[in-house]
Amino acid sequence: MDFVLAASVPFGVALFLSVIGNRLPRGWRTLLTAGASAGLFGWLLGYLSVVTQQGAVEKSFEWVSALGLRLTLYLDGLALLFGLLITGVGVVVALYTGNYFDSDEEANRFTLLLFAFMGAMLWLVLSGNLITLFIAWELTSITSYLLIGFKGGKDAEARTGAMQALVITGGGGLALLVGLALLGAAAGTFEMSGVLGNTALRDHPHYSALAILIFAGCFTKSAQFPFQFWLPGAMAAPSPASAYLHSATMVKAGIYLLARLYPALGSTELWTSALLGVGLTTMLLGAVIALGKRDLKGLLAYSTVSQLGALVALLGLPDSAGLKAAFVGILAHGLYKAALFLTAGAVDHATGTRIIDHLGGLAKTLPGWTGVAVVSALSMAGIPPLFGFVGKEVLLDAVIGSYKVASLPLLIVGVSAALTVTAALILIFDVFFGAPRESHAHGHPPKAALLVGPALLAVGTLALGLFLEPLIVPLITPAVPKAFELHLFHGITPPLIVSIIAVAGGVAIFVVRRMWLAIRLPALPSGAGVFEQAVAGAGWIGDRLLSTQSGKLRVYLTVILGAVALLMLPAVLTYNGQRSLDFALRNTGDVLKLILLIVSVGATVAAIRAQRRFVAALFLGVMGYSMGIVFLLEPAPDVALVQFLVETLSTILIIVMISRISLTLRDRATRIESRQKPLSRLGDIAIAGTMGLMVGLFALGAVINRPVRESNVSDWYIANAKPQVGITDVVGSVVTDFRGMDTLLEITVFGFAALSVLTLLTLPQSRELLTGKGRARRHTDRPYVHVPEEDTYGIASFSTPLTRMAATVVLPFAVIIALVHLLYGGDAPGDGFTAGVVAGLGVALWYVVFGYYEAKRRLHRLRPGALIGVGIGLALINAALPLAFGQPFLAHTGLDIDLPAGLHVSSTLLFETGIFLAVFGGSSVVIEAIAHPKEVETL
Amino acid sequence: MNAIFAIVTGILFGLGVYLLLRRDLVKTAMGYYVLFTAINLFFLAVGVFDGEAAPYVGEQGQPSDPLVQALLLTAIVISFGTYALLLGMINVASRRFGTIDSDDVDHLRR
Repeated sequence: MDFVLAASVPFGVALFLSVIGNRLPRGWRTLLTAGASAGLFGWLLGYLSVVTQQGAVEKSFEWVSALGLRLTLYLDGLALLFGLLITGVGVVVALYTGNYFDSDEEANRFTLLLFAFMGAMLWLVLSGNLITLFIAWELTSITSYLLIGFKGGKDAEARTGAMQALVITGGGGLALLVGLALLGAAAGTFEMSGVLGNTALRDHPHYSALAILIFAGCFTKSAQFPFQFWLPGAMAAPSPASAYLHSATMVKAGIYLLARLYPALGSTELWTSALLGVGLTTMLLGAVIALGKRDLKGLLAYSTVSQLGALVALLGLPDSAGLKAAFVGILAHGLYKAALFLTAGAVDHATGTRIIDHLGGLAKTLPGWTGVAVVSALSMAGIPPLFGFVGKEVLLDAVIGSYKVASLPLLIVGVSAALTVTAALILIFDVFFGAPRESHAHGHPPKAALLVGPALLAVGTLALGLFLEPLIVPLITPAVPKAFELHLFHGITPPLIVSIIAVAGGVAIFVVRRMWLAIRLPALPSGAGVFEQAVAGAGWIGDRLLSTQSGKLRVYLTVILGAVALLMLPAVLTYNGQRSLDFALRNTGDVLKLILLIVSVGATVAAIRAQRRFVAALFLGVMGYSMGIVFLLEPAPDVALVQFLVETLSTILIIVMISRISLTLRDRATRIESRQKPLSRLGDIAIAGTMGLMVGLFALGAVINRPVRESNVSDWYIANAKPQVGITDVVGSVVTDFRGMDTLLEITVFGFAALSVLTLLTLPQSRELLTGKGRARRHTDRPYVHVPEEDTYGIASFSTPLTRMAATVVLPFAVIIALVHLLYGGDAPGDGFTAGVVAGLGVALWYVVFGYYEAKRRLHRLRPGALIGVGIGLALINAALPLAFGQPFLAHTGLDIDLPAGLHVSSTLLFETGIFLAVFGGSSVVIEAIAHPKEVETL
Repeated sequence: MNAIFAIVTGILFGLGVYLLLRRDLVKTAMGYYVLFTAINLFFLAVGVFDGEAAPYVGEQGQPSDPLVQALLLTAIVISFGTYALLLGMINVASRRFGTIDSDDVDHLRR
């Protein structure tokens, strides 16, 4: 587990910074972050000897066993190499970031994002499972997005760049997901060791598909042609992010994955041609475009693209011929490019510009930085004895080894190398030497402390080149399958000769760079342009789709209901006649039911015909109450009780809601209603009639098709209520135990609906929703009317001394009645829900009588929102309790203890109490919401 | 009796749909309420047996169907929650768009 913990240290740092980072002194933060990554670097370095001897360390933990998902960390030479790069450059970037930002808040936000990224990247390379690798992969895309868009609040370019990077790498990520899923299916395991150990993958029928999908992921991530354009766009990020993510680590994730899967998938014809083709194209393209860039970071970005192309091409060489060169290249590039990006950041700080044409002669003002830049740029150009020279030598050696000297790959590599030399010389001479320019007045000299990190990198570039044997060879040995040698100087060999020619060519191009710059390259369609057009195209399609929408609720309802009617047709047309239709009225109860049903239909018709809404609401109430009496006659006393209570609450609710809608609006809607054309009304009647007919036929069908007196469940419930649940109320036993899951979900839905009502109607945040501030609108929006406190007394006319007295007395009684329902509910009508609504109605009376503010003040101890939570929590605890005894969720506990006074405690009491609290809270919340003072007009 | 329940279910459902199709949003909400009630009645209609006694252990006579009643209890509570939310949303919409005519609330089309 120490492994998992160590790999998660960056996440811990990010979390820590997000909580108290803003209160941390700047120096402490720098110390903490640099220390954390230095610690990780040391920890990883400690594994070097282990990895060299054993090959790989694998730690695996059970995670989601049902899905076969394991948390596996896999540390081999490759992972170690990347881990050291991530943490090592991490130290430098942490030191730099600590002194880079002027604002402390920005510095903290940036650092925590940076460490979130570092954690994701570390997990990516240490992942021993394809799924966790993918998750980490996506996390790096997301953190990269956040870092590119870091200045997005002010900078439109940052937003565009961030979005581009996210869409491209995220899209590639989708392809990768499918590719990895195919790979896992082909290998029969998602564990890295299993995949790498599988030698038959190259012959698998899905090999081409999965390889191409994985390429798509890697090429997008590592900015290969034709996706390279997102990387220059990402230069909107602050320089430390560019140095860290967009040159040293994240863009190498694609390289990492290709290298990682090389033993299992590499060295086939498809692999070689794809990687060589794309890699070499990218290499040349990047090198050519880099020269024309006048923005310092743009130049560096394209030179990174070129270098990434070289790495991909190296991984494309068959028989692991390019691995050694690739790993040397990754390290060398990571060191010099990160240093150059950090230098670019310092130059930007010092001069206020990054445009090369406006820069020059900085050697006098920034001597230290000049040293760093010269060492790093010369390393980039591949000048001995720097580390970059070794990188270029092994690159050339690998290409010559695999192909003849006179070959297209070598030509491309050679030309790109020459162009890279030119770019390096431009960086050195046009920025740091030559005549100083005027525009240096902006900006301020960077702090001396800023130089520490880049200087470390420059020293590394020099030291690693000079001391290859002790430093680099052991590092790369475990990652390269074959034995190899690494020397600064091999003698006069073909690579050296090509290298000398390239340097000479580069110098020559540098000398005539003015001519070079004057050449206008033909305007190719730029990737960023294509991207923008694609985005615009998506918008266009959306607009076309939108224009097919009427936007009218009634139209949608008609379509939906029509579809439902069609769906019901087959069910309606099948009758099997198990049961005859029963129109008989057997006793007075049935007659009474018929009368009540007629009353409810009549009341509904009256509600439809009523001109005034609140009259309609009262008619609906009549309908609901008659239905309640029907329930009572069924006999279904529990349902009837709930129906009466809910009906009361609903009627109050709709009347208050109507009163809260302004009179003008209501009048206008009434006029529109009465002006509806007869034809259109007839259409509505036709739809309603069809639906009524269908539902009626469906119901008749359901009645007929139901076998007579054949229900296993109902009889079983009746027989088992007492023995298994311990209560005599069969309905109660079904609700609280046999179908307890339903109830659990029900109170949750109810609670959340109630809280949503409260949020919609009372919270200040919903003001924006109410006024639609900042959104396109056509209608005149009514501003939110803030009613001053002293003017609000709820429905004030009810507030007389008598009613106040009554309300005060009623609430305790309501609570007592509720408790009685709760305690005796198991054996009599009523249950937790009834109890909750009864108590809620008691609270409602207070709001009606005392008005919002006074009721709220007097009932300040009542926290309805918390009650909902506690109630759902209690029900959950009761449901989960059996788990502790090894029984399934919601199993019977079979508790049945008789107490005096006819009370008895059964296993459902806790559950009922949960229901009671949740429903009490929910109904109180709804009441509080509707009593909340807003303009209330007469009905 | 169950046939009568089924027929009334159909009638109430039809009336509910008619209310649902009104342009007045308050009437639409009422339509939902009528639909809820119609569906509750449907549950009662398809109950497996016509009972004479309430479903309590120890009651004499044929008990009414407890499963249907348990479903009804849940349905009523959920209906109320939905209804409250719907009314809240209509209230917000009336302020946000300055209308309770659903044809005017067509901001989907911009």
